[in-house]
Amino acid sequence: MRRLLRALPIILFSFLLYLLYSGSIRIYDIVTGIVVSIIIGIVMAPIVIENWRKSLDLYRFFYLIKYIIVYFFIYEVKSHLNVIRIGLSPSMSIRPGIVRVPIRSRSGYALTLVSLSITNTPGTIVIDVDEGKNVLYVNWIYVTTVKPEEVYREVAENFDANAQKIFD
Amino acid sequence: MKGTRARDIIFITLIIFAITILAIPTLLGALSSIPPIDLRTIAINYLNNTYNPFNQTLWTSSPEAVAAIVWDYRGLDTLFETVVFYSAIVAALALYREILGEKDILKGKGLSVIVQRATAVSMVGILVVGFATILHGQLTPGGGFQGGAIAAVTSVIAIVVFSRLIIDKSRLSYKRLLLIRNAALVGIALIAIIPIIPFMFGDHTFLSFIFQNQVKAVNSFSYPQIIVDVPMGGSIWFYNLFEGLAVITAFSLAIIVVFYSEELSRKTIEGGEIGF
Repeated sequence: MRRLLRALPIILFSFLLYLLYSGSIRIYDIVTGIVVSIIIGIVMAPIVIENWRKSLDLYRFFYLIKYIIVYFFIYEVKSHLNVIRIGLSPSMSIRPGIVRVPIRSRSGYALTLVSLSITNTPGTIVIDVDEGKNVLYVNWIYVTTVKPEEVYREVAENFDANAQKIFD
Repeated sequence: MKGTRARDIIFITLIIFAITILAIPTLLGALSSIPPIDLRTIAINYLNNTYNPFNQTLWTSSPEAVAAIVWDYRGLDTLFETVVFYSAIVAALALYREILGEKDILKGKGLSVIVQRATAVSMVGILVVGFATILHGQLTPGGGFQGGAIAAVTSVIAIVVFSRLIIDKSRLSYKRLLLIRNAALVGIALIAIIPIIPFMFGDHTFLSFIFQNQVKAVNSFSYPQIIVDVPMGGSIWFYNLFEGLAVITAFSLAIIVVFYSEELSRKTIEGGEIGF
C-alpha cells in the first residue's frame, strides 16, 4: 500500500498520458491504462520520485501551473525582446561570457527546473553544474557583472524563487 | 592524382547511367500511375475479410489489417521471424556467457542531476507510449514489436544517463529479465498450439490449425473476439502482448551486456587464449 502511495504521482501522470496517447476513453482503455500505470508507477518510483509527500502537495502543483503561465508569457517574452533588440541593432552589442550562478534551491527537480528555465530563455545557456556547491555555470550573451550575488539577481532569481516554492 | 581523377570520372558516369536507367522507365509510366487508382485483388481480399462481422468465414476480428496479416494470415512467417530475432539475441548473449549477470566493477555516477531528473520523467512517458502501442496493436497502427522497441529505449537511456550501476541496484536483474523474456516466448508458442491441443491428445475428430485465430469452416475453435468493449482480434492481442514483453526484455538484455565496462567484457575476449 505504501509503495502504491509512493508511486501515486507517476500513476496519475501515466494514466493521463495513456488516455491522451490512445485517443479514446472506452472501458478497455481505462482498464488497461490503470494496470499499465500501476506497473510503471511501482517500477519507476525509486528512480523518479525524490519525496512522495511533496509530490502529492496540491499547493506545489498550483504554483507549478502558475509558474508555467508566468514563465512562458512574461519571462520568455521579456528575454526574447531583449535578444531581438540585440540582434537587430546594427552595432551587435554583445559581451558574451561564462558566469558562475549560485542556486538556493536544493532538490534535484528544483535545480533541473531552474537550469531548464535559464536555458530556454534566449540569451542564457546553462553549460555545467557543480552539484556539490550548487552552482550553475551559465553562458550569458551580455555579461553586465561577474559578482555571484548580482549575477544571481539578474539571471536566476525569478526562476529560483519559484522553483523553491514548487519543489523544495 | 591522375588515376583518382580517371576513377572519379568513371564513377560519376556510372552513377549518371544508373540513375538514367532507373528514371526513364519511371517517367514513361512503367510503374503505372502513382499512387495506383485501383486496389489490387489481394488488398481488396484483405480489406473485405479482415474485419467483416457479417461474413466470419475468414475474418480475424481485428480492425487493424496490418496486425491481422502479420499475426494471423501469415502468422507462421512472423513466428519464424521472431525465432530469427531471438536467436540473434541469444547468440549475442552467448558471446558474453562468461560474465552474464555479474555485477559491474565500475562504479559510475552517470550524468549530471539535471539530465537525470529530466530523463527520469521522460522515461515514464516512453514506457507509457510503448505499452499503449502494444495494447492497442489490434486497433491502431503499431503492435507488439513496435511498442516493445519504443519501451526498450528506456533501458538504453537509463544506462547512459544513470550509469550501468542502476541495473545492479534495481530489482530488474539479469535473471528476472531473462525469466520474463522466456515466459513471453513460451506464451507465443502456447497461443500458437492451443488450437491443436485436443487433436494432439487423441481427439482426431477435432480438426484445427496451428496458429488458428477465429472460427473456421472445419471446426468451432475460436479465440475471444471482444475484450471488455473493443474488438480483441483473438490471438492477435496475446501475440502483441507477449511479443512486446519479449522485445522489451530482449533488447534490455542486449543493451545491458553491451554496456559492461571494458575490464569485465575483456574477460570474454581473452577467453580464446586461455583455451576453450
